[in-house]
Amino acid sequence: MKLVERLSLRAKLGLLYAALLIFSVVLVGFCSYWNIWELFINNKSSHLRARAKPVIEHWLIGNGLAGSPHPRLDPDRAAALARDLTSRDSVAIILNREGRIIATGRRLPEEPEAPLPDQQELKRAFAGENEVTYCSQVHGEPVLVMLIPLRPAPASPHIFGVIQLSSTLADINQILFRHGAMLMGLVAAILILGTLAGYWLIGVSLGDLQGLLDACHQISKGNLSKRVPLKNRKDEIGQLASSFNEMVDRLEATFASQQRFVANAAHELLTPLTGLKGSLEVLLRGAQDDPVARARLSKGMYKEVNRLIRLCDQLLGLSRLESSSHIHRQTVGLQDFFSDFMSQARLLAGNRSVLLRPGPFVTISVDPDLLQQILLNLLSNALRHSTDETPVVITWRLRPEFVEIEVSDQGEGMDQETLSHVFEPFFKGKSTGRSLGKRSGLGLALAKSMVEAHGGSIHIRSNLGKGTTVTFTLPIK
Amino acid sequence: MIMMAKREDRTKVLIIEDDPVITEFLSTGLRYEGYDVTGKDNGRAGLEALKREAFDLVILDIMLPDIDGFEVCRRIRAKAIEVPILMLTVKKDISDRVMGLDSGADDYLTKPFSFEELLARMRAILRRSGKARENSKLHAAGVVLDPATRRVSLHGRGVELTPTEFGLLELFMRHPYRVFTRDTLLNRVLGYDFDGGTNIIDVHISHLRNKLGDRPPRLIRTVYGVGYAFHPGDDAS
Repeated sequence: MKLVERLSLRAKLGLLYAALLIFSVVLVGFCSYWNIWELFINNKSSHLRARAKPVIEHWLIGNGLAGSPHPRLDPDRAAALARDLTSRDSVAIILNREGRIIATGRRLPEEPEAPLPDQQELKRAFAGENEVTYCSQVHGEPVLVMLIPLRPAPASPHIFGVIQLSSTLADINQILFRHGAMLMGLVAAILILGTLAGYWLIGVSLGDLQGLLDACHQISKGNLSKRVPLKNRKDEIGQLASSFNEMVDRLEATFASQQRFVANAAHELLTPLTGLKGSLEVLLRGAQDDPVARARLSKGMYKEVNRLIRLCDQLLGLSRLESSSHIHRQTVGLQDFFSDFMSQARLLAGNRSVLLRPGPFVTISVDPDLLQQILLNLLSNALRHSTDETPVVITWRLRPEFVEIEVSDQGEGMDQETLSHVFEPFFKGKSTGRSLGKRSGLGLALAKSMVEAHGGSIHIRSNLGKGTTVTFTLPIK
Repeated sequence: MIMMAKREDRTKVLIIEDDPVITEFLSTGLRYEGYDVTGKDNGRAGLEALKREAFDLVILDIMLPDIDGFEVCRRIRAKAIEVPILMLTVKKDISDRVMGLDSGADDYLTKPFSFEELLARMRAILRRSGKARENSKLHAAGVVLDPATRRVSLHGRGVELTPTEFGLLELFMRHPYRVFTRDTLLNRVLGYDFDGGTNIIDVHISHLRNKLGDRPPRLIRTVYGVGYAFHPGDDAS
């Protein structure tokens, strides 16, 4: 069993195929051999009978036995009949009612010898069975034996003797031997050709499997750009290969986005570090001796350190949101929540106007701290991208399964290209005038993660020059 | 007080960088090195400044809020302004550097960079472009110092100096009359991460004075309670 397990799929299928082929070919050969043998025996026995029948009838009539109510078997007459029925290839003996041989037809040495009568078979013949045919042996040679009961008339119950006709089967055996040899040759040829063809067919069917295997090896070594050559196969292997390729596509995309994320994060960390390193260097090179320069550089460094901390906090926040265990849900009434939130919002907005258009009364299960962070992120985006004269509007609506919260501004808006990237971490759109350096580009990515951690979804729509609206949903319970 | 060369003698540097902290340390540090620094926080303002005034060198950041550094570079070159440009970039991609150099920059530095390296690259660019305002050899009171060959002579006779002594003398001669604290001298000559007492500087100064035959009133003067300053004697300012 261990050996079979160690074989390749191709070898296993090949072995199974060859075994099936051998079994079916041998079965067919055996059946055909048996059939031909049967046919020859039938042929021979009917031939014997056809030859014997007129001789017996003639003998019955000639000896006045036909139709006789009390027929008797005379040894001399029996001898004549036996002699008449004997020829070069068949010999007859005649047995009386007691089963004793009373006459045998063999006179010449070239005529075959008769086998000894089989008492079992004789009983059947005396019981009235007309065609008792069986095989026996004389000196190791196979012979066909036929027992013909002697009756005064057909179907008469008075059986007064039995003729045993026997004929050699050597000729049939010879033919059958030739036939068998031919059959063996044919079987061998079929086996060789069939196995070769089968092996080829299996190879063709499984050939791409090897390609799949090679690709798997390469991919597991880290070469994610490797794909299985498909060759347009539509069968199971083709489907396997295409699903496999799709899987690797997704893997590669995930890996690439992760790499991009790490690279972007490092990039974001390097900018404040540049400020820190440079300021320190300039201080050490002598600016520390000048109180004015020292104060300015220290303040800058303090800002950069704060920026680093903020960035690390946001990165930690993003990674924490990957697991929902960091969400502390509470039942929150939106009216109450927003009346608290608006005071924060006004603080953030300064002299800008933020309008709340309250929706219907509703309570939801949500982490209020996260909801506040989402809204503050969206609000600061809206304030940054709109002018002082236009308000930012916050509102919510009730839908069958969830609430929909919306933050919209009437600012500069953005184009489709920018819109398709806004939720990517570290993506920063083109900013007009205001400094890019202050922003991490994580705000919307964080908001998206926070909304999704609650089982909701977030959407953004925008018109260049008209404004931007961000909508997110939160499920009610 | 810090004594500076006349404004028109100094090398004029334009910094186009949107991060205020980076601009701050660059301008403070470069002013200390004797450069005349102008800072702009976006590409358009930088281009405007270049139109109005001639600069000897531009330090250009790639990530700018309005037009990126590559574009600024191309526009400068399109206007046939022959100013050397040193690009600052965070990205370490080869393609970015190639793009930077292709768009017309003379050199680039990857953030975070060492200020020392920035100065070295600036000097190299200025030398190449022939805009270096300073004489390559430094002269003062009979002392001639050649930074290229690292040779020093006193009234025509060669003086053998250790690398630390040479560093001190070069620093003093580049910044005549400026008062250096022992801390600053230590940092600049022996490196920022040198651990040891500042009195090692006094030892090196004393060796240097001996080798230069420096007698009162000295070239290298002790400023009591502060540090040292170089007084060439002749009216250099």
